[in-house]
Amino acid sequence: MKILTTVKKVVDVELTIRVQAGAIVEDGLQYVINAWDENAVEAAVQLKENNNAETTLVSIGGGDNTDMIRKCYAMGIEKGIHVEDPALEKADSPVFARVLQKVFEKGDYDLVITGKQAQDTDSGQTGIMLAEYLGLPCVSNVIDIQVLDDQHIKVSRLGDAGTEIIELELPAVVTVTDSINEPRLPQMRGIMMAKKKPIDVMDLSALGISIDDADGAAPTSEIVEFMASKTREAGQKFEGDAAQITAQVVSLLVDEANVL
Amino acid sequence: MAKILVVADIKNDALKDSTTELLSKAGSIGAETAVVAIGSNIEALIPGLVNAGSDTQYVADDPALAIFSAGPYASCVADAAKQFEADQIWFSFSESGKAAAPRVAVQLEAACATEITDVAISGEHVEVIRPAIANKVMQRVRINAGQMVAVVRAGAFEAAEGITGTENVVTLSPPAVDVKAVVKELISDASGEIDLADADIVISVGRGVKDQTGVDLVKELAHDLKAGFGSSRAMVDGGFMAHNKQVGQTGKIVAPSLYMAIGISGAIQHLAGMNGSKVILAVNKDPEAPIFNVADYGIVGDLFEVVPILRAEIKKIRI
Repeated sequence: MKILTTVKKVVDVELTIRVQAGAIVEDGLQYVINAWDENAVEAAVQLKENNNAETTLVSIGGGDNTDMIRKCYAMGIEKGIHVEDPALEKADSPVFARVLQKVFEKGDYDLVITGKQAQDTDSGQTGIMLAEYLGLPCVSNVIDIQVLDDQHIKVSRLGDAGTEIIELELPAVVTVTDSINEPRLPQMRGIMMAKKKPIDVMDLSALGISIDDADGAAPTSEIVEFMASKTREAGQKFEGDAAQITAQVVSLLVDEANVL
Repeated sequence: MAKILVVADIKNDALKDSTTELLSKAGSIGAETAVVAIGSNIEALIPGLVNAGSDTQYVADDPALAIFSAGPYASCVADAAKQFEADQIWFSFSESGKAAAPRVAVQLEAACATEITDVAISGEHVEVIRPAIANKVMQRVRINAGQMVAVVRAGAFEAAEGITGTENVVTLSPPAVDVKAVVKELISDASGEIDLADADIVISVGRGVKDQTGVDLVKELAHDLKAGFGSSRAMVDGGFMAHNKQVGQTGKIVAPSLYMAIGISGAIQHLAGMNGSKVILAVNKDPEAPIFNVADYGIVGDLFEVVPILRAEIKKIRI
């Protein structure tokens, strides 16, 4: 089984994000692997260990992704592809999906595993669109993957009505959520070996795709501006005698907030 | 006049309020509205679809649609969108909507925008507002395609008063079954419990409740208040709460009138799932817990002491 995993470099959401004049202030930002993609990498590595799968990752855009890709190598991914091109700057989910489609078609993969969304956009579209472009079955929000045979996997998905158990014919695309696993920390031996591994860097022309209408890969949306989120102010905090302050808060919920 | 198709949000054979909220918003921006309802034995929902404020009701009613499967579900929506010649297709915020929207967008060659909190028509373009980066920023996004498929964030729109619709039912042909993704089983969520997404009050537990005893203590409070009972990630990972109870970016995004965070420190992913709540009450023994930065009311104290008092005080006023 050949697995393709996608990894995106995203802004670290734990840090303060400032907005000025419609744009995010770059100063002070740090970039990390998208957390849900780290779960996708871990899922792929577990399938390598338990089911002899071959693992390849692909990362699109992000500039210098060497450290992130090496980290994934250290976790156990065998091959890495980095698609980088100035034309990707305005890419939206359909464009990412079209680029992934080209990568997929060159590689004879059986299974694509992506994170359920990227933390920079929180869109959650790319993996599903990739499957739709390829005409492949797809399950999103997956919390478990079991290999049944060479042509089938069984996945569990968190849906609106409960946990759905779905049998998928390969090739297929799944998007995973963080409940699926706890990504491993790279060990020293893996880190050392990762340093020697090559990364296959290519631009869009090498993939045979351009970002325009001719390929059906033009962006369908653009971010006009960023705005600061409406932040909640810290309200009233009560300390002291539990009975007294709790009674006080309940009466505020009734009389001031009108929610009880 | 723009034409907006709203996908009916149906759970446990009932039409959810979000359907009315989306149709109200569509009506308020002067659109001609239609709704598409997908499921099995849903004929009884038709009056509700009309009353929710729709001018046309597309109905796909088939035993094969009893359990959600993204492929057939998306086909029904795309079919209705083509028949209605919709400019915009709006899904409620749900796992079904999030799974189907990108598929419908590809099938219609439309743009796709998820988690939108507002929509406006600006000149020739449709623009949407949506949060990104775990709600830390908002984006204004211009749609450069003729059609847009959107997933509307929970609580973004309000239901209008006194809306009415017109009954005009169009029956859709049942879609093909997805033979490459076969749903073998649905392990249903515990029935009879209050849905987090609908609840007017949501009470969630975090690491501070420690174990099953703590969970049960807070659950009694939730029961008293007929509140939805949620969880932070820690208690799900610990096996004390079910996956479907998790509030946060992974899990349910809620926006109730009152959210009570009991023993929850307030990790960014959790905050992103509940900071749209109208009023937030936090109980935590750590005065420095980040949850207090977003709480309207904070009680610094031992929850094992505070929760029983909270129950007793609330009982006094709720009899």
